[in-house]
Amino acid sequence: MDTMFVSLAVILAGGVAALLFARQFTLMKLATIATTSAGCILGLVYSLTNLLSNTGTIGQSWNWLHIFTLAFKVDSIALFFLVPIFTIPPLALFYSFHYMGDKAKATRTAVNYFFFAILVASMALVVTAANIVTFALAWEIMSLSSFFLVVFDYQVKENRQAGYLYFIFAQGGAMLLFAAFALLYHYTGSFAFSSFSTIPEGAKLLVFILAFLGFGSKAGIFPLHIWLPKAHPAAPSHISAIMSGVMIKMGIYGIFRIYLLLEAATPLIGQIVLVTGMVTGVLGVVYALAKQDIKQLLAYSSVENIGIILIGLGIGMVGVSEQNQAMAFFGFAGAFLHVFNHSIFKSLLFMGAGAVLHKAKSKNIDQLGGLMKRMPITGRTFLAGSVAISGLPPFSGFIGEFLIYYGAFYGINNHRIPFILAILAIVSLAVIGGLAAACFTKVVGLAFLGEPRTENAAKSTEAGSSMTMIMIFLAIACLVIGVVPEPFIRLAFAGIKDIPYTAGYDIQAFMEIVRQISQTGAIFIGLLLLISLLRKILYMKKVIGSGGTWGCGFTQPTVRMQYTGTSYAAEIIDFYRPFVPVKSIYTGISKIFPGKTTWETDVEDVAEINFQQHLIQPLLKLINKLRWIQHGKIQLYIAYIVLAIIILLLLL
Amino acid sequence: MESIFSFCFAILIAPLLPAVIQKVKANFGGRQGPPLLINYYTMAKLFKKGSVYSTSTTFVFRMGPVVGCATSLMMLLFFPLAGVAPVFSFHGDVLILFYLMGLGRFFTILAALDTASPFEGMGAAREAFFSTLAEATIFGILVLFYRLTGSLSFAEFFTGTQPIAITGAHGAQLILVIIALYIVMLTENSRVPIDDPTTHLELTMIHEVMILDHSGPDLALIELGAWFKLLFYSGFLAMLLDPFQLQNVWLNGLLFYAVVTFIYITIGTVESITARYKMNMVPKFILTPFILVFFATILTMELIK
Repeated sequence: MDTMFVSLAVILAGGVAALLFARQFTLMKLATIATTSAGCILGLVYSLTNLLSNTGTIGQSWNWLHIFTLAFKVDSIALFFLVPIFTIPPLALFYSFHYMGDKAKATRTAVNYFFFAILVASMALVVTAANIVTFALAWEIMSLSSFFLVVFDYQVKENRQAGYLYFIFAQGGAMLLFAAFALLYHYTGSFAFSSFSTIPEGAKLLVFILAFLGFGSKAGIFPLHIWLPKAHPAAPSHISAIMSGVMIKMGIYGIFRIYLLLEAATPLIGQIVLVTGMVTGVLGVVYALAKQDIKQLLAYSSVENIGIILIGLGIGMVGVSEQNQAMAFFGFAGAFLHVFNHSIFKSLLFMGAGAVLHKAKSKNIDQLGGLMKRMPITGRTFLAGSVAISGLPPFSGFIGEFLIYYGAFYGINNHRIPFILAILAIVSLAVIGGLAAACFTKVVGLAFLGEPRTENAAKSTEAGSSMTMIMIFLAIACLVIGVVPEPFIRLAFAGIKDIPYTAGYDIQAFMEIVRQISQTGAIFIGLLLLISLLRKILYMKKVIGSGGTWGCGFTQPTVRMQYTGTSYAAEIIDFYRPFVPVKSIYTGISKIFPGKTTWETDVEDVAEINFQQHLIQPLLKLINKLRWIQHGKIQLYIAYIVLAIIILLLLL
Repeated sequence: MESIFSFCFAILIAPLLPAVIQKVKANFGGRQGPPLLINYYTMAKLFKKGSVYSTSTTFVFRMGPVVGCATSLMMLLFFPLAGVAPVFSFHGDVLILFYLMGLGRFFTILAALDTASPFEGMGAAREAFFSTLAEATIFGILVLFYRLTGSLSFAEFFTGTQPIAITGAHGAQLILVIIALYIVMLTENSRVPIDDPTTHLELTMIHEVMILDHSGPDLALIELGAWFKLLFYSGFLAMLLDPFQLQNVWLNGLLFYAVVTFIYITIGTVESITARYKMNMVPKFILTPFILVFFATILTMELIK
């Protein structure tokens, strides 16, 4: 445990170093990147060694302000979540060396690094917290520090708005969490996590639902996801990578932790999580497909992956309540592995999007194109990340999904409701997979392939070396996890070893299957090489011509004739229409000799519309009526305070 | 040894069978049709040629055919053609195989988008859309088969302890599955009434339009991949339809390929007597098999206890 606190201290020292050296731009970056990364690597070594050895749970606590106890505890679940928390930040920091290249913003960059360090440390504290006070404290620090990271470019109005929206969702979610905690405290009279399971069975469902919504707003479950597609495009790309790859998983951690602590007997919890996962997954990917802004698209794709992770957790929970150990084991393990995998490929993709934004000056797919030739490394690594996130073998995304499928198939032998749920889970995973492939062929095919649609895209060049190196590393990681999954699957299994119900499941038979999967991957790659060789031989000493693309007889093609992201996705979006409203504005033709006419189309988020109509507008109406309280006279404000204190004294 | 022989035989015969479809269609039209060996001649011709690449394309365009062909071959490597144990097999192989098929599609779509041609973009968009619908059906079938056999591998589906057979206890449900799988086969292999594979013209709106720019050996690899894929799907159907499981491997193989040929003949017949659907009809058509399979699965709830 001490090792971890030392590593957190080093990480924070890195953050402070950024503030101290703020005037020396390059030195500041080097110092903070080196120090913070060193801290992260120390923490990573700590969590990996403890995770893979059988140390059991370790706890530690201090008194704070003489009233509260700050208690920490690490078990295998906390250790597993520490792995991405300590793995991704050093990579993101290294990437930021060239990404944060604007010397004019030196002070701001230093502040950004400072909050970055705080965010990393607070996430580590969130997963190790062992009582309500510690958890709430860490959770709030995490939310606040990430808010400051999002509003890096605060001069842009949209970014400020995105920041506020994120802030509201973070605090709204925290409010629900505090409600859940208050309810728990009401029954137990104790702050300790370990007392949660003693509350009456009837209250457990309510506590869980409150906490699920609270954590869900952080994780981005549908319909509480609407801050993600706004905040991610606003934040710098390496921050998006951290937030999407690691921070939203804290929501998943919270959901899972509260589930374990409550030990509720009701099967409803698992069913709620599973169904939410399916809805989140399918709608997340459909919206991702509908968006043309790459970072917004990636944000929605995070929503989709949160859905996949929740499907895994849901399968596990249903397995627990059905007394089906194999189903529970593989559901949980699949969800854990997907948490890890997603942190890798989502970071890679956000970094790729950042490189594109830097060099091609746009993140709109319909203004890009042809980047594969101009940014070969970014393009190739982005392609690898896209294959991985679509869950296609032999890359990493497939492995986590395979475990979830495997668990879900065990559920098929169960009774009615779990049986139907298992079928729906399998089918929705298949649909999500297909749609994700459609979504990422769109990004790669239209942004990186084809011809550039704008001047800027045509002039773009490869990103800086610190950026490309990290992307290459992450892309290789995606392939390695896909081809040699065994150690990573063992890591996920080690992560769930402290879950009481699944402990002791025999994995020997399954490890054999894992070896077969990796063999299949190897066979496939071998076959690929063989056919490539055959192709090489067939093309030896042949005339290879080159010319324009066959335009079916049309000889004056322009780049504007290419398929756009909007048209590529149109048919699929149309299919899901009731859930994905499309707004188009067409000015129409009125005169005999028509003038210039415009047509505009945009996909609106159904959750956002409903929030606005049914929550925000009624709330605004109500609050407007209370506006007279706010008059700006200080003496009356003091009177309010005195009045409030008197009332409280009388009542309590 | 037997497995490898069976695999090699399948590779060799895969180009022959589609000629049957062409023959049947020619017969319906009152023509004689091409010789049965036409596809081998086509292969030889394409292999001899060079290629012309569009200046818009990158390495992805060249990878498309290779990945497509390799994924189709993987299917044949893991499938127990004629009941002969496949070259490789393990519990769970169906999941990785259908996902590999997705990988093949992923790269075919990318190769099409790489050309910057609006036609190919159109084909790519449709391929992406229709395949997401077909995928749901395929996984529905896997759920049903898992329910029936408790296994997740092609080999165990058909040669395991509780093999799936039309003459078995669940023959009635299999009829629904067979119809569903037939429609999936037509979809995934871009046959009429979803797509028309015969004309290399711009009007064939899905698969063929995506490969407009490929030529020479690249085109040959794409064609080979398509034939392997068609053989896999019709082999899958044939294993469901073929009621005989004889001891004699040769006789078994003969029967199996007879059924496969019969399926190719039906494809030819369907192509001769129906027209391609309008595009907005296609999703409805592809969703039909999903309903059938879902229904068949629900039926097992009471039948298996």
